[in-house]
Parts: sequence; C-alpha cells; structure tokens
Amino acid sequence: MLRRAEFWGGLFWLGVGVFVTWQGWLLELGTLHEPGSGFVFFWLGLFMSALSLSITVAGARGEGPLLADLWRGARWRNVVMVIAALIVFGILFQKLGFVLCSLALLLFLMTFVDPVVPKLSIPISLAASVGVWYVLEKVLLVQLPKGSWLEDVPYLSWLAG
Amino acid sequence: MDVISGLYQGFAVAFDPINLLYCFIGVFIGTLVGVLPGIGPISAMSLLLPVTLSGSPESGIIMMAGIYYGSMYGGSTTAVLVNIPGEAASVVTCIDGHEMAKRGRAGPALGISALGSFVAGTFAIVALMLVAPMLAQVAVAFGPPEYFSLMVLGLTILSFLTQGSMAKALLMAAVGVVVGLIGLDQINAMPRLTFDRLELVDGIGLVPVVMGLFGVAEILANIEQQIRRDIVQSRIGSLWPSREDLKASAGPVGRGTLLGFLLGVLPGGGAVIASFASYAMEKKLSRTPERFGKGAIEGVAGPEAANNAAAGGAFIPLMTLGIPPNVIMALLLGAFVIHGLQPGPLMMSQNPKVFWGIVASMYVGNIMLLVLNMPLIGMWVQVLKAPYRILFPLILMFCIVGVFASGNAVFDVFVMIGTGLLGYLMRKFGYEAAPLVLAFVLGPMLENNLRKSLILSQGSFEIFVVRPISVACLAVAVFLLIAPLLPALRKKREKVALDVTE
Repeated sequence: MLRRAEFWGGLFWLGVGVFVTWQGWLLELGTLHEPGSGFVFFWLGLFMSALSLSITVAGARGEGPLLADLWRGARWRNVVMVIAALIVFGILFQKLGFVLCSLALLLFLMTFVDPVVPKLSIPISLAASVGVWYVLEKVLLVQLPKGSWLEDVPYLSWLAG
Repeated sequence: MDVISGLYQGFAVAFDPINLLYCFIGVFIGTLVGVLPGIGPISAMSLLLPVTLSGSPESGIIMMAGIYYGSMYGGSTTAVLVNIPGEAASVVTCIDGHEMAKRGRAGPALGISALGSFVAGTFAIVALMLVAPMLAQVAVAFGPPEYFSLMVLGLTILSFLTQGSMAKALLMAAVGVVVGLIGLDQINAMPRLTFDRLELVDGIGLVPVVMGLFGVAEILANIEQQIRRDIVQSRIGSLWPSREDLKASAGPVGRGTLLGFLLGVLPGGGAVIASFASYAMEKKLSRTPERFGKGAIEGVAGPEAANNAAAGGAFIPLMTLGIPPNVIMALLLGAFVIHGLQPGPLMMSQNPKVFWGIVASMYVGNIMLLVLNMPLIGMWVQVLKAPYRILFPLILMFCIVGVFASGNAVFDVFVMIGTGLLGYLMRKFGYEAAPLVLAFVLGPMLENNLRKSLILSQGSFEIFVVRPISVACLAVAVFLLIAPLLPALRKKREKVALDVTE
C-alpha cells in the first residue's frame, strides 16, 4: 500500500480537499438564496475530497504503478538542479538584476545540468542574456530588475541604470 | 452590420502595415514553436502575452491568434521529419507522416500537410465568419444558468476526453476552479485563500500558472530523459504531391475539415481530439486500412486538415459566448481582457474592428503560412538540429522573462517555479494539467454565474433544469460523467486514451 504512487497522490489531494472544505466553512457558506464567499469552496472541497479518497483507496488496494517505478532510469538529479537553480534565481533576481542572474543561470544549466562545451555555452549565455535585456529594456520598454546590489559597484553600475 | 461590410472593415485592419507585421511575427513564431519539440503554442503565447500590451488590441490579438494556427502548421514538420510531434495535435501525423519520410516521400507528406492545413484553415475562417454572427444573436438570450451549465459541460467534456482516469481529470478541474477563485470575492470583495499576502489579493496570474504547468514542467520532464531525434537524412525532394496523392487526399481533407471544425467548436474539444478522430475515421472508411501506419497519405491529410479546422472552429465559442473551449483559447481570452475587451455576444457590435480584423487577419495569416512553410522547410530542418541541451536553458530564461514581464513581480516567478514542480509531479502521477488550466480560467465565471442563478431563483436549483439550453448541457454532462461506469463506453474511452498515449 505505502509503495503505490496512487495512494500517495490521492492522499496529497485528499489533504488539499479537506483544507479547501475547511477554508470554505471559515469563509461563510451563506444560504442558497444568497450564497456566501465560502459556498463554492466548501462544496468543491467536498467534491475534491471524495474524488481523492477514491484514488487513495484504489492505491491502497494495490492499483497503479509503484512509487519507485516513476523515477526508475530517470535523470532526476537534473530536475533537482534545475528547480534549485530557479529558486536561487528568484531570490537573487532583484538583488543582482536580470543580466547577471540570467547569465549565471544559463551558464549553470549548460555546465552542470546537461553540459555543453564552454566555447559554445559562454557566448550563447552572454548573447542571450544581454540580447534579451536589450530588446526588452530598450526596444519594448519592459522594466526588468536592475540589481539593487550593483548600484555602487564600479563597472557594473550601468546595469543598475 | 452584414458580413460583407464587416469583412471589408476587417481587411482594412488586417492590411494595416503594423498589423501585417504582427500577423507575420505571430505565424512565424507559431511555426517555429510548432517545429520545436518541447515548446508549444501555450508556452509561446504565455510568453508573448505581455509583449502585446505595447500595441493596439487588434495587433496583439492578431499576433496571438497567428501563433496558435501557425503552430498547427509547424507541428507537422517535426512529426514528419523527426517522428516527434512539435505540438500535441500532430501526434497522429507521426504515424504515417514519418513512415512516408522514411520511404523517401517526406516532400509529398509535408506538401499535403501544408495544403490540407490551408484548405481546412480557410474553411474554418469562412465558417467562423458566417456562424459567429448567428450564434452571437442566440447567445444574447443566454443568462447565468445557461453560462454555468455550458461551462460545466465544457469541463466535463475535457475531463472525459483526457487520458487515463476521469476521477483524476475531474479532480484537476476542481483544483483549477479553487486556484482561480483565490483573491477577492467578485460579489462582496472578501479576500479568499490569500493568507494575508498582498500579492494574492488580485488572484494568481494566468501566465505564471500556464508557464509553470506547461513550460517548466515540460522542460523538467524532458531533461530527466535522453531525447533521441531520428531526423530524416535523405533529400526532402519536391513538396508538391502527385496527381494520385492529391486524388487520394481530397476526401480525407474534406472530411477532416468538417469533423475538425465541429469538434473545435465543442467546448472541451480541440485540435488534438479532432486529429485522432479524423485518423480513426479515415482508417475505418479506407478500402485498404492495412496501409495505415505504413505511410498512407490519407493518414496525414485527414488529421492535418482536422487539427487546423478545429483551431479555427475554437474561436467561435470564445468570440460569441466569451467561453474559451480549450486552454489556448483561455490564453487568448486573457489577451482580450488585458486590453480591456470582453469577448461575447456583444463583441461584434461593440468592437467590430477587433472582431472582423481578427477574422480577416486569419485569411492573410493562412496565405502567409502556405508561403512560409513550403519554401522554408529546409530552414526548419536546420532549427530542428539545434540540440535540446542548448534550447532548454534558453526556453527557461524566456519563461522567466515572460512571467516577470506579465506582472512585474518576482512573486510570479516563484508561482511559476511552484506550478512547474507541481506540473512535473502531476505528469509523474498521471494527473492532466489541461482541465486544471481551463477550470482556472472558467472558475471565476463559473462561480459568478452559479451564485447569480441562485440569487435569481431565490435559492432553487430548478432554474438549471427549466431552461432548455441549460438542461440540455447538464444532461450531456451527466451522461459523460456516468459513461465511464458503463462497460461498453468505458472500453471506448480507454481506447481513445490509449490512442492518445501511443
């Protein structure tokens, strides 16, 4: 039972369903004449709970693939690295600005996740990050983060505008 | 306003040099993303949604529409030459298209696919032009109960037609409605599921959700496996099909066009289903069904026509009822809303320039695509040779830029990362993202119309069953919900899901 993907998937959504039902209850159901803010949440939460319970039960009965089979032979480290890189990117985006952050992200992905030779990865990363920055900032006038940490750094302050 | 004068006004808009440029950019990008596996029209349209803000509403929407039908054309190139569908609607083209290519007939396969797409696309535009005004007149009579029931029907059809478990698809639709309702209550302005975060008061943006569930999740799914591409190395040769090819394809193109258009109009239907249905129909009608799967040109012509006709047909419910029948149309609805326009029955009378401009631009775009696809196939083949290890970091960067530019908030980037991870896990555990996204868009409308109906009827659910359109929609929805419980229908549904998986 505990090794089945269906069981864990269903259990996760069951938790979400119960949470939505509870939130709907807290938001006030109102009456049928005048449904309140929580009316739809409450009933949808119950609907979700019922569906996910049926999936959980099916998993408990041994239906569906094993959890371990979902990642058998997969290069899951790549997925972890990309997610981690994106989170770091999100944290540093406003501090370092678009150009440095995207340059670092591209170089990281092309060096560690699915390696590309440096003579390709470096010019592609540079051209892409500076090119996209130029098109968005100068041509389409879309404001991108300039990098609050760069304002006082010599040679890099131009990036911070 | 009659059709002719409307169309005249539309062509004036479409031939405006700036709109021609936007149309060209749209169909070019559409073909490009159709060609490239791993990035589809949904990601491309989400990415470019913020860019449309800088131009007029007509220009932006003309470009977005161009990406959509352009990707339908481009997807077939990858399917024929690499045996990888550039986008989902071209899955079925791989079967016979790639077989034809392996037998040295890549040219006719690509040629008939472009011709079939052109014929079907043109038919869909003419039908859109003729049907939309009539449907808009009927749609004026739609009240909250009809809208609610129609949306329930759309979500049910989509759940019914998605792969695998219907319980999972319905669950995803419910999750989508919940996520779509996060933010201020439209009726009494009460914050809901905002957890005291200011960023959530306006709700979660469509772009980060779509980019996460489709763009980032697709990349995560691709990078965990080695992608092998089997590009046809032989010369493509003449693209023009022979007289026999044209004769054999005429029927499939005609039938595929009609079938695709009808399935495209249906809420929850769309290009993917249309192409599979057309393939199945052609195989059934053929006197030599054993040729299918071994390079039958009918297996390319029919589905390609069907998916393009469906792409055109899908505009009808959006333009006349304001209801997007699929995820891509939901994005287009987002583009309308960003520009302060509300598609629906009144659109033709209130914004004739936009409506007819889009219709006319589709004619122009179809011709551009025919011109673009035939001579540029060699270039698309070169694009296909770009390794995924270089493409995916760039796509990821474009996703971030698109999401950030849509709301100018880093919070949206985190929403994209979160939904990307969720989308990846959903794929792993067999949950479909399409019902979630469609329900996310329809959620606020669904709730609004349900509550309005109940207020109108003073709390009685009878209002949904005494109105003919509403009860008809609900009856079909109920039938589809109980259908998987009937053994014969369950087998049929499983077969469709199996075909899609293959």
